[in-house]
Formats: sequence, structure tokens, C-alpha cells
Amino acid sequence: MPRHIRRLLLVLIGLGLVAVAVRNLVVDRSFYEYGHYRGNAVAEIARDKPKFQGTAYCQSCHAAEYDTWAHGLHYSPDTARIVKCEVCHGPGGGRDPGQNYLHAATGPVHPGNLKLAVPADTTALCTVCHEQIVGRPAEQRQIVSGEHAGGQQCSLCHDAHAPLRFKGALAAAAAGGNPAAGQRKTAACAPCHGPTGVSAAGLIGPTLAGQNRAYLAAALAAYRSGARKNPIMLGVASVLSNSDIEDIAAFFASQKCAAGPGGAAQLAAARAAGAAMCASCHGANGVPTGAAWPSLLGQSTDYLQGALRSYAGGDRSHVVMSAIAKSLDDAGTAKVAAYYGGAACK
Amino acid sequence: MDDETSADEVQAGRRAFLTCFGSALAGGAVAATATALLPGPARAAAGGAPSPAIPDYDWKQHQWAFGVDARKCIGCLRCVEACKAENEVALDAHHFRTWVERYVYVEGEDAPRIDSQADPVNIAASGSEQHYRFANRYQDQKVERAFFVPKLCNHCTHPACVQVCPTGATFKTDDGVVLIDHTYCIGCQYCVQACPYGARFFNVEKKVTEKCTWCYHRITKGLLPACVEVCPTGARIFGDRRDKQSPISRFLAENRVDVLKPETGNAPNVFYVGIDKDVR
Ligand code: HEC
Ligand code: HEC
Ligand code: HEC
Ligand code: HEC
Ligand code: HEC
Ligand code: HEC
Repeated sequence: MPRHIRRLLLVLIGLGLVAVAVRNLVVDRSFYEYGHYRGNAVAEIARDKPKFQGTAYCQSCHAAEYDTWAHGLHYSPDTARIVKCEVCHGPGGGRDPGQNYLHAATGPVHPGNLKLAVPADTTALCTVCHEQIVGRPAEQRQIVSGEHAGGQQCSLCHDAHAPLRFKGALAAAAAGGNPAAGQRKTAACAPCHGPTGVSAAGLIGPTLAGQNRAYLAAALAAYRSGARKNPIMLGVASVLSNSDIEDIAAFFASQKCAAGPGGAAQLAAARAAGAAMCASCHGANGVPTGAAWPSLLGQSTDYLQGALRSYAGGDRSHVVMSAIAKSLDDAGTAKVAAYYGGAACK
Repeated sequence: MDDETSADEVQAGRRAFLTCFGSALAGGAVAATATALLPGPARAAAGGAPSPAIPDYDWKQHQWAFGVDARKCIGCLRCVEACKAENEVALDAHHFRTWVERYVYVEGEDAPRIDSQADPVNIAASGSEQHYRFANRYQDQKVERAFFVPKLCNHCTHPACVQVCPTGATFKTDDGVVLIDHTYCIGCQYCVQACPYGARFFNVEKKVTEKCTWCYHRITKGLLPACVEVCPTGARIFGDRRDKQSPISRFLAENRVDVLKPETGNAPNVFYVGIDKDVR
């Protein structure tokens, strides 16, 4: 090869190497680590601080407001219809490593300056979701605010945290439904649940008497929405209005279904049946230990077993019970059902 | 060079330079090629990091996807406001990482009427460019059918925006998210043009392109994207397709889903139910 060509080649190779060296210097080391991009960018983007904190965060300091909210209609986890704290109050912000709260939109930060927006104009807030407009599906309860509220703030009557809880004079009338009115609406239930809601041999419906009021109302609402699947009760519940449900629940809750004596012997029996864990909520004798849990009194073994199966299978769903039912095998389910099936109404 | 310098000396100088230059570079060449010329995946395989350094997160374990159930959307626009707050998007009526459209079929008209929260009538109803609500329009018309459709970046499997990016500033991650590296973005806006869904916009202040990231900073911490977090009716669904019990896997198993503009071949990863052929 002639010398001048060789030199030329050498120069070209040299320039190529310079290019490679410059690229090496200029382009980030992580480029091409995962593909045609700067690999480090991924972790950098992921490092950003979340602003919306979730309801558990608010609960940790505002347990009372949380409790009201969690028992109201703005919290229906069964149907995934949940209006979270930060939807109305704005994002709780996040702490940066210097312990400063980061959030611009809600102004003074929380709780450093102990202020998070308290919505003053509830008409503007609530009508964003509840004003009747073209396109809004019928499942969403809608009002024409001019007619419904007559220019008043929604919060004059509604408790924003549990919207069907009313303030002022409305409170007494609406609280928990009217049992007397409820009784008039239960004629259709008797053939299956018994006239006072005490089930007996030959009746296909479970016992409703003495049951937790909120549980009954939630059960009927769940049948109506299809969240709890049962063809018979879907038909029954689909014709009930919200106030029917409240009244009926109040009626059956006020009916008597008492328990036999409990005590240490009962607890031992529960333990033997593998129901010790259940007893912490449903009681050793089927009488619930707190207002949040339903009673198991007066239910047949078959019904209880069916209920546990539907939690395990997905026809019913509940954060606690679905997990518990899935953890039981067939023999375990039969055993606890037989145990509680013995607790008849007295 | 002064006048006395002979041609020979020039010759010698050039030769010396070339020899020096050549041998110095030949030395560096071995090292340089080893690191720089080796293709990236091969380097990763040869001991590079298997997954980006995100605490308690391995992107190989996840494949994210998004669902929209338009039948449930009530058009409250909390998602739009939450997205702006979470991602510090410009608070005006022109820049949205996610938005909601309303399709209204008026009797006797062939095509639906479409408005979004950015429509002047709707902005007038909210009274501010920083808050959004759908106005109660069409009261005088006979409306046959109407529904809301939330929209956002589709995080496509074959994203056109990534193909056209000249600097590798936008890319598809292994867990299925299309991101933008703002330090590499030169603001040329080819990607804004390439996206068939109008999901990208130009941030004039930072001179970079911006779009939905599915809140990558949240999902890699086990949280939901902000729009999903605040949706009051479960119309927005998000989750991991690798987890058969995740909301998105169940949504996909239980519904016949559509994607927007399948004919463009981008293969979107936002799946819709309750829309019709007019939604594109
Ligand atoms: C670390 C504890 C803490 C957490 C977490 C917390 N708060 Fe607070 N919050 C406070 C305290 C303390 C106050 C002040 C109470 C007072 O002034 O009487 C307050 C006040 C408020 C107020 C009333 C402000 C006012 O001006 O009257 C609202 C509304 C509020 N919080 C909402 C929330 C929401 C929503 C969340 C969840 C995103 C939340 N908070 C999380 C501690 C907390
Ligand atoms: C539907 C909207 C909405 C939701 C959801 C909501 N709030 Fe409120 N909250 C309000 C309004 C409106 C007020 C003002 C109360 C009033 O004017 O009667 C308020 C007041 C408060 C206050 C101040 C209490 C007082 O008496 O001054 C706190 C604290 C609070 N909310 C916490 C919470 C927490 C915690 C959650 C979530 C569990 C929550 N809120 C969910 C609308 C809401
Ligand atoms: C972000 C949207 C949103 C906002 C804001 C909101 N709500 Fe609601 N509200 C809902 C949803 C969704 C439900 C339905 C819950 C369900 O179906 O279980 C609901 C349920 C209700 C109900 C019960 C309707 C029924 O009979 O089933 C009332 C009453 C109500 N809201 C009043 C209010 C009031 C008053 C405010 C303002 C303080 C408000 N809402 C703010 C979304 C919202
Ligand atoms: C003067 C008191 C009052 C005011 C003000 C008021 N409400 Fe009501 N609202 C009620 C009562 C009482 C009910 C229960 C009616 C029933 O169950 O039939 C109700 C029911 C509702 C329902 C459920 C409707 C249904 O079909 O089940 C919604 C939604 C609602 N209100 C939203 C609002 C909103 C939004 C505002 C503010 C613009 C507001 N309300 C203002 C008294 C009020
Ligand atoms: C044709 C028979 C029949 C009629 C009529 C009927 N039910 Fe039921 N009901 C059932 C059956 C069967 C079940 C159990 C369904 C299941 O396993 O979920 C049930 C379950 C229930 C439950 C859930 C109980 C629990 O412990 O979870 C409630 C509440 C209830 N019914 C209320 C009513 C009311 C109120 C009426 C009248 C308005 C009524 N039912 C009418 C057959 C009936
Ligand atoms: C942490 C409290 C808790 C524990 C522990 C618990 N439960 Fe429950 N259980 C509940 C709640 C809450 C419900 C209501 C769920 C719903 O609304 O569907 C329920 C519902 C039920 C029902 C349906 C009642 C009906 O009338 O349809 C049955 C049956 C039941 N539980 C059995 C059991 C058994 C058996 C165990 C033990 C293996 C158990 N539970 C443990 C809280 C608990």
C-alpha cells in the first residue's frame, strides 16, 4: 500500500478514535444501559415525592373524622365508590428530606402550619359531582342545586363526611331510619325471613332479627348494586329506595334475637371448633363484640357455610371476611359453621 | 511558523505529530472500544445493573397497564385537578397530562358533539382556569346519549414518539411506561407531532416536552397514580398485569376492552370499556 494512503488511513482511524473518546466523555455512562436512553433517568424520575398521601395518612391524626367518613356513603369500598379526604381537602403534601412540607397549591402546609383547605363553598365542591348534567350516569345521585338546596350551602344540611347524616332539625328524622315505617315495608320479606326476621326450619332466608342496623342496610344496598350476588335478593332489593332500606334495617335491628349465656366455657368451645379468631369480632356465642361487626345469632349452619363460601369465591367481598374465608379449607369452614349454627335465637 | 523554517522541518514536524498522535490513540483505543463500543444490553449482561436503582422496586417484576370504565365516569374532573397538583403541571386551560372529553349525541345529528374541560364554556362555568367542571350544556337539545371519556398517554407498546426522538430523551421502560428524560430533551417537539393521541405538550418555561408518566414516582412506591387515587367511582383502573389478582388484570378478564386508534399500530396500554367508534 502506498505510504500516503497508509497515512491517510491512520489519520482517519485517529479521528474515529477521537470521536469515540468524545462520545464517551459527553454521553452519560448509563446511556444504553437498558436501551437507547440514559438509564439513570429512570431512577431520577422515580425519586419524585408523592403529594397525595391516601386516607390512611389522614386517619393517623384525624381518627374521628375518618370514622364518620368510613361509616358514610362517601366510602363504599364494595363498589369502589370512594370520595377520599384529599379530593375535598387537597393533597396532604409530602415531606422532603429536610422535613419541609412540599406543596404549593394548598398554600400553608400541613401540619407544619396546621392548615389544610377546609372547603368553605360546599355548593361549588359538591355540585362538581352531584349536579345533574348531560352525560353523568344515572348511578350517580344527582340534584338540581337550585331546586334542591335553594341557594343554601350543601353543608347546611349534609355532613360532608357522611352525606346522609343530617345536621340540625333534619338530623332526628333521618337518623337510622324509622322502624315503624320499616315494619310496613316488610310484608314481602316474611315468607322467607319470618315476620319478625327470625328464621326457622322451612324458611329459606337467614335470620335478620337483632342484626346490626348498618350491616343490614349495607347488605341490602350491596344486593341492589349487585356487589353481593344473589338472584333472589337482587329482585327484592332492586325496588327498595334508600329510605326504604334505612327504615327496614331499623325495623329488623329492633327485633329480638338474644343469645344464650356466654362465658369461659363458650370461649373454650369456640377455640375447640377453630373459631377463636372469629370470636374476636363475632363473639364466642355469635353476639358481636363491637358495633362494626354483624351478629351470627340465629343463622343456620347451611347459611353460614354458604356465606363463607361466597366470601371465598367472590360472590361477596369484604376486606376482612374474604381474606379469612379464603384461608379456611372445606373442613375448617364446615366446623366453624356448625359451631355458630348452634347459636339459636332465644 | 517563521520564514526560516524549511520544508523539511515542516515535513518532520508533521511526521512526528502523526506518529505521536497515532500511537497515543492506539493505546487508548483498546480501553475505549471495550467500554464505549460494546452495545448497551451486552454491557448490562456483563455485570451492569439489572434494574434501575429504585429502592424496593424491581422493574422486571411489573408490567403496568391502565383501564378506563367510561360507564362509571361522572365527569367530576377530580383526576384532572389531582394530576396537575401531583405533577405540578401549569395551572391553565391549555396544558393537561390527563383530560376528560364529553361525547353528546344530539337527536338528528350524525356526529357527536365533543367538549372537554378546556372548552371556554366549561371554563366559564368553573370561573377559573385552575379549576374545572363540566357546564350543564345541551339543556335545550334532545340528547339521545352522552358519556364521559377520560384520556391520557397510552404508554404504547410500539410508541411512535419514542421512534422519532432524536436524542433518546423519551423511552419505554421495561415495566411498560413511556417516560421523558428532561435533561436530554432538546424541545424539538417531533414527539408532540408523532403522538396520534395528542398526549404530549410543550412546557414553554422548561423548554421540554411533558406528558403523563402514570405517576412513575408513585407506582414505584406501591401507590396508585394520582388520578386513580382520587377517582370517586372507580372509573380509572390501574395495576400490574403480571399479578393476576390486580385490578387491571381482573378488569381485562371481565370486560371486552377497546383501545384508541388501533389502526396506527402503536398498541396502546390504556384499555377502555363503554366507549364507541366515535371515540378516537
Ligand atoms: C401528623 C398529623 C396529621 C396528619 C397526618 C393530618 N393532619 Fe390534618 N390536622 C392536624 C392538626 C394537628 C390540625 C390542627 C388542628 C387544629 O388546629 O385544631 C389539623 C387540621 C386539619 C384540618 C382543619 C384545618 C383548619 O384550618 O381548621 C383539615 C381540613 C385537615 N387537618 C385535613 C387533613 C387531611 C385531609 C389529612 C390527610 C391528607 C390530614 N389532615 C392529615 C394533624 C394532621
Ligand atoms: C366530600 C368532601 C369531603 C371529604 C371526602 C372529606 N371532607 Fe373533611 N371536610 C369537608 C368539609 C366541607 C368540611 C367543613 C365542615 C363543615 O363546614 O361543616 C370538612 C372539615 C374537615 C375537618 C375540620 C373539622 C372541623 O370541624 O373543622 C377535618 C379535620 C377534616 N374535614 C378531615 C377529613 C378527613 C380526615 C377526611 C377523610 C377521612 C375528610 N375530611 C374527607 C369535606 C370533606
Ligand atoms: C368527587 C365527587 C364527590 C364529591 C365532591 C361529593 N360527592 Fe357525594 N357522592 C359521590 C359518590 C361517588 C357517591 C356515591 C357513593 C355510593 O354509591 O356508595 C356520593 C354519595 C352522596 C350521597 C348519598 C346519595 C345516596 O342516597 O346514595 C349524598 C347525599 C352526597 N353524596 C352528598 C354530597 C355532598 C353534600 C357533598 C359536598 C359536601 C358531596 N356529596 C361531595 C361523589 C362525590
Ligand atoms: C335544606 C337542606 C338541604 C340542603 C341545603 C341540601 N340538601 Fe341534599 N338532601 C337533603 C335531604 C333531606 C336529602 C334526603 C332526601 C331523600 O332521601 O329523599 C338530601 C339528599 C341529597 C342527595 C341524594 C339524592 C338522592 O337521589 O338520593 C344528594 C346527592 C344531595 N342531597 C346533594 C346535595 C347537594 C350537592 C347540596 C348542595 C348544593 C345539597 N344536597 C343541599 C337536604 C338538603
Ligand atoms: C324469596 C325469598 C326471600 C324474600 C321474599 C326475601 N328474602 Fe332476603 N334473603 C333470602 C335469601 C335466600 C337470602 C340469603 C342470600 C345470600 O346468601 O346472600 C337472603 C338474605 C337477606 C339479607 C342478608 C342477611 C345477612 O345476614 O347477610 C337481608 C338483609 C335480607 N335478605 C333482607 C330481606 C328483606 C328486607 C326482604 C323484604 C323486603 C327480603 N329479604 C325478602 C330470601 C328472601
Ligand atoms: C376482624 C373482624 C372479623 C373476624 C376476625 C371475623 N369476621 Fe366474620 N365478619 C366480619 C365483618 C365486618 C362481616 C360483615 C362483612 C360484610 O359486610 O359482608 C363479617 C361477616 C361474616 C359472615 C356473614 C354474616 C351474614 O349474616 O351473612 C359470616 C358467616 C362470618 N363473618 C363468619 C366468620 C367466621 C366463621 C370467622 C372466623 C373464621 C369470622 N367471621 C371472623 C368481621 C370479622
